[in-house]
Amino acid sequence: MTALALPSQFSARVDVNRSLGGGYVVLEFSGVSGGALGEVVAGQFVMLRGEWGRELLNPRAFSVLWSEPDGRFAVLLKAYGQGTSRLVASPVGARVTVTGPLGRGFRPTDGAVTQLLVAGGVGLPPLHLQARQASARGQAARLELFYGGRDRDDLVLLGDFEAWGVRSVLATEDGSVGARGFVTAPLEQRLVDARAAGEAVEILSCGPTPMLAAVRHIGLRHDVPTWLCLEEEMACGFGVCLGCAVPVHGARPYQYCCSDGPVFEAKQVRWP
Amino acid sequence: MTAIPRTTAIDPASVDLRTRLGKLELPHPILAASGCFAYGQQFADFMDLRRLAGLSTKGISPKPRFGNPLPRICETSSGMLNSIGLENVGAEAFLAEKLPFLAELGISVWVNFFGEDFASYVECARLLEAGRGHGIDVLEMNISCPNIKKGGIEFGTVPEVAHRLTRACVEVTDLPIVVKLTPNVADVVAMADAVAQAGAAGVSLINTLTGMAIDVRTRRPRIATMYGGLSGPAIKPVALRMVHQVATALPQLPICGMGGILGGEDALEFIMAGACCVQVGTANFARPDAALVVLDELRARMADLGIGSVSEVVGCIRPLPPEAPRVDPAG
Ligand SMILES: Cc1cc2nc3c(=O)[nH]c(=O)nc-3n(C[C@H](O)[C@H](O)[C@H](O)COP(=O)(O)OP(=O)(O)OC[C@H]3O[C@@H](n4cnc5c(N)ncnc54)[C@H](O)[C@@H]3O)c2cc1C
Ligand SMILES: Cc1cc2nc3c(=O)[nH]c(=O)nc-3n(C[C@H](O)[C@H](O)[C@H](O)COP(=O)(O)O)c2cc1C
Ligand code: FES
Repeated sequence: MTALALPSQFSARVDVNRSLGGGYVVLEFSGVSGGALGEVVAGQFVMLRGEWGRELLNPRAFSVLWSEPDGRFAVLLKAYGQGTSRLVASPVGARVTVTGPLGRGFRPTDGAVTQLLVAGGVGLPPLHLQARQASARGQAARLELFYGGRDRDDLVLLGDFEAWGVRSVLATEDGSVGARGFVTAPLEQRLVDARAAGEAVEILSCGPTPMLAAVRHIGLRHDVPTWLCLEEEMACGFGVCLGCAVPVHGARPYQYCCSDGPVFEAKQVRWP
Repeated sequence: MTAIPRTTAIDPASVDLRTRLGKLELPHPILAASGCFAYGQQFADFMDLRRLAGLSTKGISPKPRFGNPLPRICETSSGMLNSIGLENVGAEAFLAEKLPFLAELGISVWVNFFGEDFASYVECARLLEAGRGHGIDVLEMNISCPNIKKGGIEFGTVPEVAHRLTRACVEVTDLPIVVKLTPNVADVVAMADAVAQAGAAGVSLINTLTGMAIDVRTRRPRIATMYGGLSGPAIKPVALRMVHQVATALPQLPICGMGGILGGEDALEFIMAGACCVQVGTANFARPDAALVVLDELRARMADLGIGSVSEVVGCIRPLPPEAPRVDPAG
């Protein structure tokens, strides 16, 4: 896990608000007055706050989908509560305050280990960025995507993975695309096959907490290095409020999702 | 008709923001609030910390504390609830690892502290006394900890107990002690008076208001400890009322005001209510440079209103004039 660019706070404007169907939206921003995220590690996030007045105070966390040196960047989101609903409705030209890039992301493939990227819902961006960056280094073949959703509309940006040459295993609960059921079933089969073939694999996962809990158990059961990108409710996003505690094993009972994570090793996380 | 002061705008650069809290001189009234600024370091990436008048650290106890189970925070209308559990690095690690960075800044460093019982409050003040001359300017004694051991609630709510505690801490340090009061009392003036009589250099008003939020789907509280501390603009009217009550009853006692300050006008309201300086808390989460936004807006707003200096408006508000007497021609 590495963190490169120092975070900064800057103002940005919405350049593009693109619906992907299924309620998913990509928001593209550009930094105002030279503001930029700089280099971002997959799994790092930004805190975004629109012009929300005094009623809705805290910014919201979003994983970075992509970031360019010229200050443009994007996030993928879905309307959930008050903050995300307002952001999804942002017109082009709307202003947001950005703080980032924050947190510690996934480590890149070292080429010797196959990384199994397990994604669900709005947990796709860290894995999408991991694949984009691996592909830019010519290592797309070392990555495989395991992507699960409720139905066809719940799986987005699939074409990107195809273009990068990352193999995808899909699953939907209604069976409309890929295997019927949860994506954890084909994931587990893949681990069994890897073990039989003596292949080194590791798991990188981001998605709804119940999915991460299942992935954690599978990783532990098969003794495969497993990295989870977690979500906790955040106020500041940079280690100040101590609100985003994550229960962990070890000398201290808690670490912080925003500053120690959001990527944690599965065996370190103190979950049932 | 109310006599409204003449408002001829003046040059913002000419506004004199200097203020003082007792003997402590400050270049302007804006500080960062305890628990909302950690130990300062994280903010260096986002702002020039030297532009602050000062900051109050996360509450320090004699020994390190790990804090409460999660969830610890949730957002509510115009505010948030927190129950962090006073997690901190402990006095020793604070002095060794955090204070040197703060000492370098050359701003007013307030160390917020508390104990788990009477003896550990005094112990903490004694330990922090070692930081006098090494960067600590003020000890801000938090007697309003809702989430410490039994008996803790009395420190902040029973005037005689607060008096004894303040006296005991004042005796072990030459640092000025500003006592941070809780709004969760019936008579805040009685509390302020009790700590003032015991030698407090001033009071900070207010800490968070005890509150609750419920997730109706799960039928569970939205923070693990059931009740937590409410902060943000939602509590500003309560904070202003308390600052004004104490300023009116105890005009000699310096007050640092806080509670829901997001902009310059909020800060000016606190000053007019009687605070000589203010702290910015929850707003730092919305944007890390929030305290500097408050500072810049305060200067601009004062210039707009033709107010030449902070000192001329501290506690300046006056009641509305009485209504005209009623004449009833029939009676
Ligand atoms: C590191 C990180 C990365 C994230 N990346 C993305 C992303 O790329 N795309 C995306 O769409 N979302 C992402 N999120 C989640 C996003 O920040 C939440 O959707 C948002 O905080 C909820 O905000 P809201 O205003 O829509 O809901 P609110 O109105 O604030 O909340 C509605 C309800 O949801 C609960 N809640 C709030 N936040 C969370 C949470 N994080 N997890 C579970 N329950 C919560 C609240 O307690 C409340 O009951 C990320 C979160 C984190 C911590
Ligand atoms: C997350 C959080 C942690 C806090 N921790 C402390 C603390 O350790 N000691 C203390 O005296 N006050 C603490 N406070 C209270 C604030 O310093 C301040 O009094 C209160 O939040 C009101 O101001 P605000 O509305 O500007 O936040 C904390 C507040 C918040 C939101
Ligand atoms: S969100 Fe504030 S410490 Fe993590």
